[in-house]
Amino acid sequence: MLEVRNGAGETLGVLFDRYQRPLYNFYSKLTGDRVLSEDLVQEVFLRILKYRQSYRPGTPFRAWIYQIARNARVDHFRRAPRNVALNPEMLPPVLPGDSAQRGQEAELLHRALMQLPEEKREILILSRFQELKYEEIARLLDCELGTVKTRIHRALQQLRQVFRQLEQGAAAGKANASAAGNIPPQGGLQ
Amino acid sequence: MKCEQIGELLPDYLQGNLSPEQDNSVEDHLEGCPACSEEVAVWKKLSLLPVEQPSPASRVRFEAMLHAYQAGLTDQAGVGFEREKRSSFWSAFNWLRSPLGALAYGVALLAIGAYVGTQFGTYFGMHTSGSNTHSQELAAMHTELTNMRQLVVLSMLQQQSAGERLQGVTWSRREEQLDPQILSALLHTLRYDGSVDVRLAALDALSRRSRQPQVHKGVADSLQEQQSPLVQVALIDLLLEWRDPDAVQRLQKLQQIPNLNPTVRQRAEWAMSKLN
Repeated sequence: MLEVRNGAGETLGVLFDRYQRPLYNFYSKLTGDRVLSEDLVQEVFLRILKYRQSYRPGTPFRAWIYQIARNARVDHFRRAPRNVALNPEMLPPVLPGDSAQRGQEAELLHRALMQLPEEKREILILSRFQELKYEEIARLLDCELGTVKTRIHRALQQLRQVFRQLEQGAAAGKANASAAGNIPPQGGLQ
Repeated sequence: MKCEQIGELLPDYLQGNLSPEQDNSVEDHLEGCPACSEEVAVWKKLSLLPVEQPSPASRVRFEAMLHAYQAGLTDQAGVGFEREKRSSFWSAFNWLRSPLGALAYGVALLAIGAYVGTQFGTYFGMHTSGSNTHSQELAAMHTELTNMRQLVVLSMLQQQSAGERLQGVTWSRREEQLDPQILSALLHTLRYDGSVDVRLAALDALSRRSRQPQVHKGVADSLQEQQSPLVQVALIDLLLEWRDPDAVQRLQKLQQIPNLNPTVRQRAEWAMSKLN
């Protein structure tokens, strides 16, 4: 990172290779929008170039890059308000049995995650997928370590509830489907 | 232990930060408590969500951005950044040696002169109609400056060297409003410029102006004429992003081209599946 700070553009390529995928997954799990996620990743690297002097040597680089990533997203949504496509209730119902059990569970989980309030979704993504330590998250969100843990626990509690509802909805859909023969189930989501 | 106490330990349990004794007491509780153990199960199940791969075009866009930046383009690099630049303060004036630099310098002098002139006029009461005239003059000068800057962009887009044309494209980004002449020059660059880098940069600059119908149509139309797979892929992505109403039709037409690069063909198929 020091090299980038001092102006060696090629080093940014190495950073790109290392962080492109984690950042892309951070955004795509957070927003559910792949095209937007790719744009935001590009924005992050442009900002790294522009603001590289603001990186203080010796501080964790990962925290810095995620700080930029969060700001880029906030700025984006300030400019362009969210579109309705993100509303999970507009997704088509999950058809039970149309994919493997594992695939269906992943789909339900994805939807449950998308139904959480954004702060909760974000903290779960940061801790579970981005593999940030709680200390790093606390620094990133500028709060106490204890607060991070409490928030993660609350987010997980809510995720469990939503996931369970969706699962029950899907199971009910399945029952309806077998009862009604050819008519596709409508009640996949509550 | 009660659920509340476990709740405090749970996040650390999930990341494996607990001591063996604490681990044991959490696990004892989990055995007898469906709610808590379901939470742990959901946490573990999150691993079912796939790690998604960014598209290959992403790397291409990154490279284009980096090139553009290294060509000395991205201009608002910040003030604090200047002092550590390898080149010294004085080399910043090197660009003035080029004809374009001289033109820009001329514009700046003109602006300073005009501004000082107006200030003096106000100071000595040369006009009596009050601040209204003053602000009108300023506005007129502002327009003139904008026009001059746009002229600079136009002339840069016609330079021999790809680097300078690239610079022209980047200059165009500074303007909030581009006049139709510049837009059509950028569209021309997107279609006919000899350098892929310059075409990609033009596409990027144009993609920010998608609200102007001229841009939207011009960019979408250029898909048929592009020869470079890089630009084709970037255009396909843009059509998808814009949710262009004719995108499917355009993509189908693109796929009819014989000898189309396989990656482009694949990308077009992917985009069509996203649009349907």
